[in-house]
Amino acid sequence: MLRYGYGRRILRIDLTKRVFRTEDLDPSWIRPAIGGRAANTKRLFEELSPDCDPLGPDNILIFGIGPLTGSLLPASAYYTVTAKSPLTGVLGDSAAGGQFAAEMKLTGFDQIIITGRADNLLYLMVKESGVEFVDCPEYRGKKIIETTEAIRRERKDYSLQVAAIGPAGENLVHFAAIVSSGNRVNGRTGMGAVMGSKNLKALAVRGTLSVEVADPLSFLSEAEKIEKNILNHKEYKKRYQMGTTMLMQDLNNIGILPTKHFQEGVCKYVDDISGQRMARTYKIKNKACFNCNLHCSRYYIVDQVEAEGPEFETLCSFTSRLGNNNLPFALEMNAYLNQMGLDSISTSEVIGWIIECQEKGMIKPDELDGLSITWGETDKIREVVDMIAFRRGIGDKMAEGAKRFSESFVEAAQKLVMQVKGLDMICGDPRGIKAYGLTYAIAARGADHLRAEPYFELTNRKEEAKKRFGTEKAADRLAEEGKASLVAYSEKIALLTDSLTMCKNIGLCMDILNFENASSLLKAGTGIDYSPEYLEKILGNLIDLEHRLNQKFGVRKEDCTLPERFRKEPLKEGPTKGSTVDIQRMVNEYYKIHNWEE
Amino acid sequence: MIRVDISKCTGCKKCESVCAFFRTGRVNHHLSRMKVLNIYELGIDGPVVCIQCKERFCDCCPENAISMGSLGQVIVSPTLCTLCGACETVCPIGAIEIFNDIVYVCDLCGGRPKCVKACTEGAIQYVTETSTHASLVDFAKKTRKMNPDQKRYFYLKNLGLEVRKKWRKEYA
Repeated sequence: MLRYGYGRRILRIDLTKRVFRTEDLDPSWIRPAIGGRAANTKRLFEELSPDCDPLGPDNILIFGIGPLTGSLLPASAYYTVTAKSPLTGVLGDSAAGGQFAAEMKLTGFDQIIITGRADNLLYLMVKESGVEFVDCPEYRGKKIIETTEAIRRERKDYSLQVAAIGPAGENLVHFAAIVSSGNRVNGRTGMGAVMGSKNLKALAVRGTLSVEVADPLSFLSEAEKIEKNILNHKEYKKRYQMGTTMLMQDLNNIGILPTKHFQEGVCKYVDDISGQRMARTYKIKNKACFNCNLHCSRYYIVDQVEAEGPEFETLCSFTSRLGNNNLPFALEMNAYLNQMGLDSISTSEVIGWIIECQEKGMIKPDELDGLSITWGETDKIREVVDMIAFRRGIGDKMAEGAKRFSESFVEAAQKLVMQVKGLDMICGDPRGIKAYGLTYAIAARGADHLRAEPYFELTNRKEEAKKRFGTEKAADRLAEEGKASLVAYSEKIALLTDSLTMCKNIGLCMDILNFENASSLLKAGTGIDYSPEYLEKILGNLIDLEHRLNQKFGVRKEDCTLPERFRKEPLKEGPTKGSTVDIQRMVNEYYKIHNWEE
Repeated sequence: MIRVDISKCTGCKKCESVCAFFRTGRVNHHLSRMKVLNIYELGIDGPVVCIQCKERFCDCCPENAISMGSLGQVIVSPTLCTLCGACETVCPIGAIEIFNDIVYVCDLCGGRPKCVKACTEGAIQYVTETSTHASLVDFAKKTRKMNPDQKRYFYLKNLGLEVRKKWRKEYA
């Protein structure tokens, strides 16, 4: 019997028929899946027909939270959205923080499963008593905050939370995002397009139930330990000041800051675009997710533009990756992309790829309706982003994603798309961080670091590396040795973090979550006896499940690789000079650890 | 009384969670006696809580269930209260509200407010000098027909617009 932690109900919504039904959460089903991302994957595995059209009514869009979401555990306010991805055609999911998950928790639904397609644009108002289907044709074209505030005004309730899509989602841009709490983005794999294909403008949640834990005293003491670990962490100050944008300098220092679309790893003007400069010049105050101690997000004003963020990925994507040294422009883009509901990484990849191909003469302007663009041309970048969001002109084809867009050009150009399994690569050159390289290659949703976030590789803890992974090399960022074990460990912790719906910065980068404390937290929270060994075992099974789901979508071992550039072209300058990635070796080792053939 | 500096608030709602938990034993931030709102269009976050206004609008209870404590805090007698809702209706900023048959208003935790400790950003302070009490007459006129949530939003928005003038001057 489930009594604590979980809301104990799931909500199924059929948009075609405009009906909903609630089901009890089956304890034997949820126990080996914990919650959050893992439970979503399991649901998709069991219920989705693998050959369905990602933008058709049969695709299943799942909003999932976990047993400890919205509890007094700090940084436990993430929710994961899962569906078959329109961008990649394989497993798609994306998590975001903010305030949405904690509010969803109070509705008592652990999963909200949305199928079908509405005949008109509508939003859903979910309360513990059920769902209201509200037509909202007048919201068409509204940006995220406009939509959020309009719903709150209409309902006369400013405590409800909204996850919405912007114009990009409505226009089915394949890498459109879902955005909640104004600027909290489920960016990757095009979940916004799936929502748009269902004619669902927004999902609003408002609950009044309470989160009940099995053993409040133990739970509080465990949560307090985590709180202290955050506050006493050596990176606390830096993260408080800059959030993830601290990585601009950090990655540049080791020569892996993607510059000019991964052609270089050192950016000469990094001081102009760094997290330090952002914090010093434009930050007004810190922002935080629900119940978090780190407060690592920031609110900024630059000229007429203001927004929350940016995170490192967006900042890098619109500065060095596009050869741009204009920080205010990147901040403007962050606000614009968030409000349009676009993924910044995939948007940047399309543009960066075009610029590089034009520089190399592989694509002529007349093949792009006369578009001619080069590094750091901010006005043109702004225009292209707009064309993508509204699918105007050639932007209509760019909106299919860099990989698909590249297919109508010469083969040499196609090879320059920085993607794995169709998902555009995040900012971090794998030639200088090999475990990350392996993570991009094997990640179920495509080139993605969050699947394992092997930040350990950058912490230089040699003895710890030997103890945990059998070789000191696991802490050497340029070595390939020991990285398969490091990734195989980190991906479990990453999945655990996602399933408890905690934040990866805290769970993984700050190395605060492990099987032991997660076991205590889960036990105190749910009353179910999760031993560390059992946790490790089920997490292994869940990673298998993800792998098998992707096999159903047609993913093969040869898809687990990196773009040619990282395998063959060494970086020419900086601390990572001369390095390439022997990805095959690491992938083979990784497959061996998992006992996977294919 | 509780003094809030919304320019420092990050919107984490820790104060809400802690308030609700220590006063009700439950984890549900809506059971808090201070309510944090995030105004996304302004980038403003902040808790709205009883400011011990000059007028003491809520002191109109027809059942005499409301009294003022020595710290200036509002004390509701659960035996006298009939849940008529008069206090909720008259409070101009939505700081007193009935929810599931309980009246929620800040009583300063008897002099050691938990929220102050919970806030790591220094946005919430406890001040004991009681010489200055802000007037809410203007708000009372403007928020008369609103529900408590709307009142809080209206109040916070007004404070937020002031803070934003400063931001604009300093940063833009």
